[in-house]
Amino acid sequence: MAAPVLKALRSGLGLVPGVTCAVWRVPGPAQVRWSRYGPEFRDPLVDKEHYRKPETELTEEEKYDQELKKTQLIKAAPATTTCSVFADPVISKFTNMMMKGGNKILARSLVTQTLEAVKRKQFEKYHAASAEEQATIERNPYIIFHQALKNCEPVIGLVPILKGGHFYQVPVPLPDRRRRFLAMKWMITECRDNKHRRTLMPEKLSHELLQAFHNQGPVIKRKQDMHKMAEANRALAHYRWW
Amino acid sequence: MATPSLRGRLPRLANPRKTLKPNKPLILANRVGERRREKGEATCITEMSVMMACWKENEFRDSACKKEIQDFFECASRTQEARKMRSIQDTLGESGSLSPKKMNKLLQRFPNKPHLS
Repeated sequence: MAAPVLKALRSGLGLVPGVTCAVWRVPGPAQVRWSRYGPEFRDPLVDKEHYRKPETELTEEEKYDQELKKTQLIKAAPATTTCSVFADPVISKFTNMMMKGGNKILARSLVTQTLEAVKRKQFEKYHAASAEEQATIERNPYIIFHQALKNCEPVIGLVPILKGGHFYQVPVPLPDRRRRFLAMKWMITECRDNKHRRTLMPEKLSHELLQAFHNQGPVIKRKQDMHKMAEANRALAHYRWW
Repeated sequence: MATPSLRGRLPRLANPRKTLKPNKPLILANRVGERRREKGEATCITEMSVMMACWKENEFRDSACKKEIQDFFECASRTQEARKMRSIQDTLGESGSLSPKKMNKLLQRFPNKPHLS
């Protein structure tokens, strides 16, 4: 609503597009989480291989694109983007969900300590095991992390639907991102709430991740409870309209 | 039967007929009413029931029901894409008059002028 007014003000004052003048802010509810970039801004491309290509290997489109970018405005890349080989989107998302009050340093250190704890536990098991068992023990903490979260993802979700004055929990298929979010959320909530006060987060998380990796533990149980509820309410599936 | 006529329905001293007494001023609003959405129906019921039958037999273990779960996911993604295509079709191809959303946007930009100046 305020956007077209702001735009008219911007062009009226002859300001450079993309610069919002602080003085002429229209009174009203402050837009807190919306992007401050105008529609003319392009997204940044963070890819080392793309920029390392020599001039001769570029196609026509890429050459045109490069020339075009010299005149167009580009948004600033967020501080968390890397082109590092160690950057993992799942780990980044998990760190952001663990973060409290913007303390990314603490969240990231907890996650690294968790992965280290997982690796240490697995190595202890490895050295204590016989030759046949050593082949089955997984020692890569990233693989354990991904597999544990995949095991915790629910297949079907429940949605409250209002019908006849009552709310019924209707089983509904969930999109991928919702399932991933639920898995991570359950893992973090379980570790924060249902453990002893004095245990540290990396210790709790590593224990839960290893249990989930073997399809055991409270997070898997919560997922199965959700499945059981969905199975009990399968007759209500017709209340859905999508 | 055709719509009854609105001629001479305002209350005036010289009006003997039954009059209308509207509670709001008779000025066109800057929005049109929305299209009635079609009653959708629940999708992927068969895949879901097959999956749940498999779960009941195998004590809710996901490792035993991989194929059914895969079918369910595929059905869900197919319906999701079909819905997206349908909504894109609705927004792009309007045969005849404009869609209510576009009409409302246009009316917002060029509203009805109840005043003269």
